[in-house]
Amino acid sequence: MLPPSVSAPCIELSGNREVLIEGSRGVLEYSPETVRINTADMILSVFGRGLDLRCISESALIIDGFVTRLEFTV
Amino acid sequence: MLLSILRFMRGYVRFEASGKYPERFLNITARHGVRLWAVERVNGGFIGCMYRSDYRNIRPLARGAGVVLRVMDKRGLPSFAFKWRGRPGIILGGCAFVLTVFVMSMFIWSVDVVGLEKVSISEMRGILREKGLYVGAFKPALDARRIADEVMIDDPDIGWMAVNIEGSYASVEVKEKAQPPEVNDIETPCNVKAARDGVIISIEGYEGEIITAEGSGVIKGQLLVSGVVEDADGSARLVHAAAKVNARTTHEAVFSVPDEYTVLVETEEYTERRYIDLAGLRIPYVFSSVGSPDSLSREITEAPAPLGVTLPLGKVRERVTALDESSITLDDNSAKELLLCQSELYEAFCLSACTVESRDHSLTHKDGVYTLSVVYTCIEDIAYTDPIGTDENTDLTKYVLPTEDERPSP
Repeated sequence: MLPPSVSAPCIELSGNREVLIEGSRGVLEYSPETVRINTADMILSVFGRGLDLRCISESALIIDGFVTRLEFTV
Repeated sequence: MLLSILRFMRGYVRFEASGKYPERFLNITARHGVRLWAVERVNGGFIGCMYRSDYRNIRPLARGAGVVLRVMDKRGLPSFAFKWRGRPGIILGGCAFVLTVFVMSMFIWSVDVVGLEKVSISEMRGILREKGLYVGAFKPALDARRIADEVMIDDPDIGWMAVNIEGSYASVEVKEKAQPPEVNDIETPCNVKAARDGVIISIEGYEGEIITAEGSGVIKGQLLVSGVVEDADGSARLVHAAAKVNARTTHEAVFSVPDEYTVLVETEEYTERRYIDLAGLRIPYVFSSVGSPDSLSREITEAPAPLGVTLPLGKVRERVTALDESSITLDDNSAKELLLCQSELYEAFCLSACTVESRDHSLTHKDGVYTLSVVYTCIEDIAYTDPIGTDENTDLTKYVLPTEDERPSP
């Protein structure tokens, strides 16, 4: 578990079909192949096919689809 | 599943957002606490869902984000109610249905009793009804533990009881008490005496001294086997006399019937009444009656039980048949036949412990009454035990054998 001072996002993967991201600050890009999420200290890019946003709330979102790659840009 | 129900109850909108920066719109909605779901990317925008209440508030913000919103579909209960606003009967019917289910769930629909052996089920239902558990009882007022405890205290035949109320179904499990077996007294000193007058056929003596012999006549109360036994040394001791004494006895019975009497017989006139049984409350919906003041009623209850669940709703058909007085005049043969039937009933119930050897019938007709006198000759065990010294002043010490300590030393 990360200490409270580290404001890193919490990412949970269910296989490569679902990604739960907590600590989101907004969606930067959304297409069926790419979803780029702004978190506090980095940008998280999810690559895949047929990506959908199953649910979006203020600080969390769930991505459905066939995920092929995750990328972190610090 | 639960989430789907909540969304349906609140109502939601499926919309299409199109514009230059749809991602900006997503972030604005998230910042304003608006929840989006089922978001799919399409050409030039995306499709998603949000609550109806949120959609009203989000429209000005969408304009600011350069996004145009278009409603594709409205779903949920509010939309349904709005669609059927011109037909209030359907809405009222739906509300009445929900209300009926809610109200009916507060009453007991059926009471099932299991585990009875000697106590009849109607008797047990009567006891439970006194305690407040019956079809139609108000469920919140029932205390299952109290009912079970009170029945166990009040009814000595019930050893254990549990009342389980599941939904509107009450299941009562009962275990009856095992009665202790009768203990045969084989120690109290007693004589064997004759219960009836008769001629002794056989005596099987188990204990005591036989006083009478086979073939001798005895009268009621006569001593047959003595409980005072004399030992070889001349001393007397008391025993619990026991014997089986078969004797030929006679029983007399008289049966009578008037030679002319009236009875009520069913006629062909009948009618049918119908009721709806709603949790014990009967609501008639077909009224009718027969002309005769005397009538016979038979009821048939039809209670639907879909999937084995008894509903508190049933249909009762009551068939009422008119009765008419009919005069019956007996002749010798029919009177004898009727009286013989009575004598057979007497024999079956009152002489069940005897073996009837012969019957002597005599029929007389006097003052408008037929009388049948029957003398039964029977073989039966006439022995009964009579305790010795029931009077508290009787001194029995001389008959009791001395103990080891009390015996004089040689």
